[in-house]
Amino acid sequence: MRYMEKQDYILCECELVPLEKFVASIEDNFEIKIARMPSICMTMIQAEDSVEFQPFYLGEALTTECEVIVNGQKGYGICLGDEPLRSYCIAFIDAITQLQDVDPEPVNNFLNEQAALIEQADKIEYNYIMRTKVDFKLMEQD
Amino acid sequence: MGYVAVKGGTDAIHNSQELVEFYRLRNAATPLDVNQIRSQLRLAVDKVIGEGGLYAPEYAAIALKQAEGEVFEAAFILRAFRTTLQRRFYSETINTREMFVKRKISASFREIPGGQILGPTRDYTQRILDTGKAGETAHEVKSFLEAFESKIDRGKLQDIDTYGKVIDLLKQEGLLKTIDPNDDRTLTDITREAIKFPAPRSARLQMMARAETGGLMAMGYSSMRGFGSAHPTVGELRYGSVPVMIKDPSGRTRYAGKIEVTEAEMVSSVSIGKKNAIPKFTIGYGLCFGQNDTKVICMGILDTTMRSPDVNAPANDQEFVLYHTEGIESMGFTNHLKLPHYVDFQSVLGGIREAIKRNGEKTPEKKPEVAEMEQ
Repeated sequence: MRYMEKQDYILCECELVPLEKFVASIEDNFEIKIARMPSICMTMIQAEDSVEFQPFYLGEALTTECEVIVNGQKGYGICLGDEPLRSYCIAFIDAITQLQDVDPEPVNNFLNEQAALIEQADKIEYNYIMRTKVDFKLMEQD
Repeated sequence: MGYVAVKGGTDAIHNSQELVEFYRLRNAATPLDVNQIRSQLRLAVDKVIGEGGLYAPEYAAIALKQAEGEVFEAAFILRAFRTTLQRRFYSETINTREMFVKRKISASFREIPGGQILGPTRDYTQRILDTGKAGETAHEVKSFLEAFESKIDRGKLQDIDTYGKVIDLLKQEGLLKTIDPNDDRTLTDITREAIKFPAPRSARLQMMARAETGGLMAMGYSSMRGFGSAHPTVGELRYGSVPVMIKDPSGRTRYAGKIEVTEAEMVSSVSIGKKNAIPKFTIGYGLCFGQNDTKVICMGILDTTMRSPDVNAPANDQEFVLYHTEGIESMGFTNHLKLPHYVDFQSVLGGIREAIKRNGEKTPEKKPEVAEMEQ
C-alpha cells in the first residue's frame, strides 16, 4: 500500500472518537474553509470473476465525501458509509499533510499510534478465525 | 387482467399506516436499537444489502426495523433509497485474492492453500431450537464474550495471511477450459440500461449479485435435480472483507473502506464438444455483498448453466433465470394483484354468466348483497 493509501486506511479504520479528538486538538491552528459539506453519495463497486477476469458491477456502496481548503490547500475526504465527521477529518488531514510548512510529527504520531491499534485488533480477530481451521480426515484414514 | 386507477381513501390509507406502526410497537417494551439489528441480525442485514444492491449495513438495519423484519420489503426500501443518491465514484476492481479471510472451504480438495477455515458457520451443527436464547441476559452475553476472548493467547498472535486460490492451481495445470473468443465480454450496467437478451456475462453476473437468494436457490436447485445441465462442486468458497479503492476528484487513488463479500468458484467438468476432445473443467462464478453461501453457490451454478442456452431447461434460459430471480420486481408484480381489477373482473364475470345462460344452465337468483357488490 502506498503512503497516501496507508494514511487513508488508518483514518478509515481507526475509531472515530480519537480521530475527532486529534483533529479538534490541532484545527484551530489553521484557516479552514469547507468547499463541500460532508454529503452522502454512492460508489459503484467494480469486480471481476477470478478465472476469466470478466469485469462486472457488483452493486453500489454508500459513501461520504467532503472537501476542505486548509491554509489554501485542498483536501478530500472519502469513506464508505454515512460518516460525515470522519470524512471531514480525512479531508482535513489530507490537506495538512500536503502543506509544506506544517510539522508532520503530530500527524505521524497519531497515524502510527492508530495503525498499531488497528493491526492488533485485526490480528486478534484473525486468531479467533484461525481457531476454526480444520483438517478433515476421510473415514478410512486414522 | 388489468388494474384500474381509483381515487379517494386517503384517510383509510393514512390510518392503515398508523395501524402498521401500532402493531409494530404495541408490545415493544423498548424500541429495537439499530445497532442491535446490525450486529445480532447480521445475516438478515447482509441479505438486504445484497438484494437492495447498496452496501449500507447501517441503512439496511433501519430498513429491516421499518419493515418489521420483512427482508423483501427492506431490500425494496433500500433500493428505492439508492435512487435518491448520486453515483459519484467508481471503485477500482476489488481483488478477492487480497481478502481478509473469515471463511474459506473447498469441497473439491481436502488440502487447499492455507487450509480449510470454517469461519462463522452453522453448517456442521444440528438445528435444535435453543430456548435458552429467550432469556439471554446482558450478563450472559458479557460472560460469553470474556470466555471467548480468553481462548487465544494475545502474547503469541499469529500474523495475518492472504491465500492463493484453488482455481489458480487448476489453471496452472491447464485443467480449465479456455475463454471462448466468441463470448461477449462487454461491461454493461443494468442499472443504467435495460437488459437485452442474450445478455453479456457482465450483465448476468450483476443481476445475480442483486437477485433474491430464494429465487437463485430455486433455479440452482432445479438444475442440480436434473431440470438443467449443472451439478458442480464447490471449488472454493470464501467470505471476508476486501479493500475498496477510489480515485478522488484530484485523480489520486484513495482507500475508502472495506466491504464484506462472499465468493464461490463452482467447478463442473465439460467435454469440449468435438470428437475425441479432451474434457476440461469450467468455473461458474458467484460473488455478493455480505455473508451468503447459498446465494453465491447458486449464482455460480447459474453462471455455468446460462452459458449453455437451452429454453427447455429453466436454469439454462437467461431470461427465465434473470427476470424471475429479481426479487424486487417479482415482489412488485405479485403484489400488484392486490390493486383494483374491478373493471376487467366485472367484464369476465358478465361473460361467464352469459355463457352459462346460453348453455341453458339454471343459476340461482342473484342475492341482493351480490348485486350491491357489483354496483
